[in-house]
Amino acid sequence: MSNTILKLSQATREVNSGSNKIALLDNLNMEVKEGEFISLMGPSGSGKSTLLNCIGMLDNFTDGGYVFLGEPVHSMKERNRSKLYKEYIGFVFQAYHLIDELNVWENIETPLLYKNIKSSERKALVADMLDRFNIVGKKDLFPIQLSGGQQQLVGIARALIGSPKLILADEPTGNLNSKQSTEIMELFSELNKQGVTIIQATHSEKNASYGSRIINLLDGKIVSE
Amino acid sequence: MLKNHLKIAWRSLKKKRLYTVINILGLFAGISFTLLIAAFVWQELQGNKNLKNSDSQYMLTSQWKDPNMGVDFATIGPLAERLKEQYPNLVADYYRWDGITSIVSEGDKNFKEGIQLGDESFLSMYGFKLLHGDESTAFKNPFSVVIKPEKAMKFFGKTDVVGKTIMIQNFGGDSKAFTITGVLEKTPENSVTPIINKQSSGLFIAKNSAEYFNRADFHDWNLPIFACYVELQPGINASQLELPLKRLIEDHTSESIQSNLKVIPVKLTDYYLNRNNSSLKKILYALSFVGIFIILMALVNFINIAIGHSVSRVKEIGVRKVLGSNRKQLIFQFLSESIILVAVATILACLAYPFFSKVFVELVGKEIMSLSQFPTYFLLIPLLFILIIGILAGFYPAFVLSSFKSIHALKGKFKIGAKGVYLQKSLLCFQYVTALVVLIVALLVTQQLDSFFGKNLGYDKEYIVTAAVPRDWTANGVQKMLTLRNELSEVSSVSSVSLSYEIPNGNNGFQLAVNKANENPEEFYASQSLVVDDAYFDTYGIPLLKGSYLKPGEQNPDYALINEKALHTYGFSTADEAIGQKLKVDNAEYMLTIKGVIGDFHFESMQQPIKPQLFFSVSALHNYRYLSFKLKPGDIAQSLTEIEQKWKQLLPNAPFDYEFIDDTLARLYESELQLKKATYTASLLSLIVALLGIFGMVSLTVNRRFKEVGIRKVLGASVTNISILFVKDFLIILAISVLIACPIAYLIINQWLDNYSYRIAIGFNPFLIGIVLVGSITILLVVLQTLKTAITNPVNSLRSE
Repeated sequence: MSNTILKLSQATREVNSGSNKIALLDNLNMEVKEGEFISLMGPSGSGKSTLLNCIGMLDNFTDGGYVFLGEPVHSMKERNRSKLYKEYIGFVFQAYHLIDELNVWENIETPLLYKNIKSSERKALVADMLDRFNIVGKKDLFPIQLSGGQQQLVGIARALIGSPKLILADEPTGNLNSKQSTEIMELFSELNKQGVTIIQATHSEKNASYGSRIINLLDGKIVSE
Repeated sequence: MLKNHLKIAWRSLKKKRLYTVINILGLFAGISFTLLIAAFVWQELQGNKNLKNSDSQYMLTSQWKDPNMGVDFATIGPLAERLKEQYPNLVADYYRWDGITSIVSEGDKNFKEGIQLGDESFLSMYGFKLLHGDESTAFKNPFSVVIKPEKAMKFFGKTDVVGKTIMIQNFGGDSKAFTITGVLEKTPENSVTPIINKQSSGLFIAKNSAEYFNRADFHDWNLPIFACYVELQPGINASQLELPLKRLIEDHTSESIQSNLKVIPVKLTDYYLNRNNSSLKKILYALSFVGIFIILMALVNFINIAIGHSVSRVKEIGVRKVLGSNRKQLIFQFLSESIILVAVATILACLAYPFFSKVFVELVGKEIMSLSQFPTYFLLIPLLFILIIGILAGFYPAFVLSSFKSIHALKGKFKIGAKGVYLQKSLLCFQYVTALVVLIVALLVTQQLDSFFGKNLGYDKEYIVTAAVPRDWTANGVQKMLTLRNELSEVSSVSSVSLSYEIPNGNNGFQLAVNKANENPEEFYASQSLVVDDAYFDTYGIPLLKGSYLKPGEQNPDYALINEKALHTYGFSTADEAIGQKLKVDNAEYMLTIKGVIGDFHFESMQQPIKPQLFFSVSALHNYRYLSFKLKPGDIAQSLTEIEQKWKQLLPNAPFDYEFIDDTLARLYESELQLKKATYTASLLSLIVALLGIFGMVSLTVNRRFKEVGIRKVLGASVTNISILFVKDFLIILAISVLIACPIAYLIINQWLDNYSYRIAIGFNPFLIGIVLVGSITILLVVLQTLKTAITNPVNSLRSE
C-alpha cells in the first residue's frame, strides 16, 4: 500500500456573494495516494478549478481539514504553505501561463531560481528536461513563437523541473487540438508511470480515461467516484 | 537571480517600447535639468569659499536710512584703514577699492575698461595667485598694473605679458604708460574682483598711482563710494566690530552721514548669496523648486504608465507567484526595472550635460562648470540619483502589483481598482497644474517685461545710441566736448547729439537734498541730480511742461530743471507756480532756481519708483560721461559707420563703443530677462514632460478600452462619438486642474509683481492662452490616438478576446 499524499476531511470553500454565502466546495472528503492519476470531472462551475487551487494552496479552504504529506495545511501560516507547495507541487494550466518575456530555457529555469539552486545545477537540470521533452532545438524561442501544444509541453516541463511529488493540471488540453491533446495526455500517463502523482481537471471523457480514478463533482459536492 | 531580474526587466522594457521611450524621455528631461541646476547651485554655494581665510573675510556694507544717499556695497574709505590701525587685535587686514572706467590703449587699439584702484593688500589678503609676475612686488612701484588673463589675451593675444606697458587715460585728458607687473590666475567665484557681475574690473592698480587719476580721496570721511573689505583676526566675530565702527563714524563723519548710515560687516561667503536683496538665493530656490517639480512630473509619468500597464503585468506576477516567488522577490524585480530605466535616463543626461550646459549659460548668465570639474566624490551623486529616483518611481508598481493574489491574477479577474484610477487621475491633475502654473507665470512675466521696454518709459528710446567719451572734467574740457558734439551732430544721419553725465541706466552721479525755500526748514527731499546739456531733452524726447530748457552753455550752477515728481514732492501745486522759485539745499549756503519743469521718465529700473530729479547744466558742473545720438530713421548700420568715421577723426584715442538704449535697458533688466528665459525653459520642459505623460495615458486607456470601443461601434457609435468619449475624460481632469492652477499662478505672479513700482494689471488673457494651449494639445493628442482605434473594424477588436 503506497503512502497518502493528501487527505481532505469536510473541506469547504465558501464565498460571499452579496449577503449570501455560497459554498463552492461543500464538505469534501477525499484521499489521494502516491502514484495515483486522478481525473476531476464535472460541468462548468462544479468546483473543479476551485478544488485544484485549494489543493495547490493558491487558495484556502474556509473550513475543514487538509493534510498534505502529513502536515496540517489548514492551520499553517502563509509562509510555510508557500514553502510546502514550492517544494512538492507543480502546476499546469489550460492557458499555459508561460512568461512572455522569457524564452523556453528561462521559463523552465524560473522555479529553480526561486528555490535558490546553484547556476551549474540549474543548467544541468534544465538541459535534462529539454532533452527529455525533445525540445532542445526550441530552447531559445519565446512562447509566442511556439504552437499551443509546444507551449503546453514547456508548461509541463516547467512544472516538473522542481521534481514535485504532485502535479495539478487544470484542463491542460483545453486549448489544444485533438492530436496535441493526445500527445499531452500520453505524456501525463508516461509521467504517472514514472511515479508522479497527477490530479487533472477535465471536461473530456477521453482525457479522463487516462486517469486511474475519476471523481465527479457537481455543485461543489462529490457525486461519484 | 539578479541577472534574471535584469534580463526580464530589460526585455519587458523593450517589449513596451513606446512607454519605455516616454518614460526615458521624461526622466531624461527632468534629470538633465536637475543636474544642471544642481551644478549651478553647488557652484554658487562655493562663491567666496575659495578665498584665503574665507571664514574671516568680511565686507563693510552700508545701510542708509535714505536709500538715495548711497549704495549698499560701498562705504566710507578710511573706516577699514582706521579699524586696522586702532583695533589690530580685531582686524588683521583690509582692502578697499574705487571702481573707475577709463580708456586703455595698447599700440593703436583703444579699449574701455573697468579698473580697481585699491590697496596693495589685494593679492596677499585673498591669496590670489599670479600666473606671471611676483606677488610680493607687483604693486611696489607706482604706475604698475596687474591684469586678468582674459585682458592680457584681449590686449596682447597671450598671457605672458609681464614687463609690457599699456597706456591708461586719467580724467584730466592725460594718458600715461603703466607697466604690467602681474597677470592673475583665473580667480574663483568671489565678490572682490567683481563686486557684482555686471561691473567686472579687469585691471588692478594700487593706490600709489591714485594721484594720477585725481579721483576720490581714500581718506575722505564723507565719501561713501569705496568697496571696503576687512579680514578679521582668528576667532573674532563680526559683532565685535559694531562698537568700533559706531565710534569711528561718530568721531569723523558729518552729521547727515551719522544720522543716516549704519555700517554692517557681512561675511563674504554670506554676501555672495544674499547680495541684491538675496536675488541669487531666490533664483537658487526657484530653480531648485522647478527642478524638483520637473523630476516629480517625470516620476508621475512612470507611475501612471505603470498603473496603466498593471493589467498586462498581472498575469506574469500570478505565474511567478505560482512558481514560488515570494513578494520580496517580486518587489525587487519591479524595482530593478525602474532603476534600469532611471539609469539609462541618467547616463543619457550625463552625456548630454556638455551640450545643455551651453544653453543653460544663457539662463543664468554664467558659465556652468563641467562635470569633470566636480570633486570626485560627486560621482556618487548620479548613482544616488539612480537609486533614489529609481526606487521612488518603482515604489508604487512594485508594492501594489506584488500584492495581487495569484489566482485572481491568473484568472484575469484583475481590474485596476478605483484607488488606482483615482491615483492616476490625481497624478495627471498634478501634472496639468504644474504645467499650467509655469506657463501662465511665463506669459505674465513676459507681459511685465514687455512693459519695461514699451512706450510708457517717458522718453523715446528708438534710434538712440550712447557712447562713453574720454574725460577731461574742466571748463575747457567741457567746452571742447561740446564743440565736438556740435560737429558730430552735423553728420547727416544724426538728428541730434547730447553730452551728459547720466543716461537712463539708473547710474546716477550724485544726490542733493533740497526743499522749497522758506518753508519747513526741517524736511529735505533727497533728489537725483543729473548733469545734462541743452540738447538732452530734445534727444530723448522728454517733454517740457513749463518754463524753458537750459540755455546752450549755461554757466550758472544754480539753475536747475526739475521733473514732475519733484514738483509734487517739494509741494508746488502747479508747474506755473514753480518757475523762478528757489530751492534750498541741505547743508549748503546756496539756493537753486527752478528754470523749468519736465515730464517724468524712467531713469532707473521699474522696480524703483520715479524719484524727484534735478537737472544741471554740464557747462556749469563740468562732469560728463556720455554722448547720446538720436539717429534719423533709415539704415542704422550706415549711420553708425558715418558717426564712427567722424568720431575717429575727432577722437583718435578713444574707442567708439556704442550701445543702443535697448541694450542698456536689457542690462538694467538682466535678472528679469534671465527669469523670463528660465520660465520659458521651465514651461517648455514641464509641457514636454506633461504631454509625454498624457500621451502615454491616452494610449494606455485606448488599449484597455479596445473591446469597449468595438462594442460601442457595433451599437452604432460614430468615430466622433468615440473620440469625445476619450476627450471628455481628460477635459474633466483639465478643468479641475485649471481651478487649482489659476489661483496658484495668480498668487505667485502677484507676489513677484510686488517687487515693482510699475506693474502690469493681471489680466485674463495669459490665463486663457495657457488653458487653451494645454487644452488643445491634449485634445489633439487624444483624438489622434483614438482615431486609429475608432476606425478599426469592430470585428477585429471583438475577435481578439
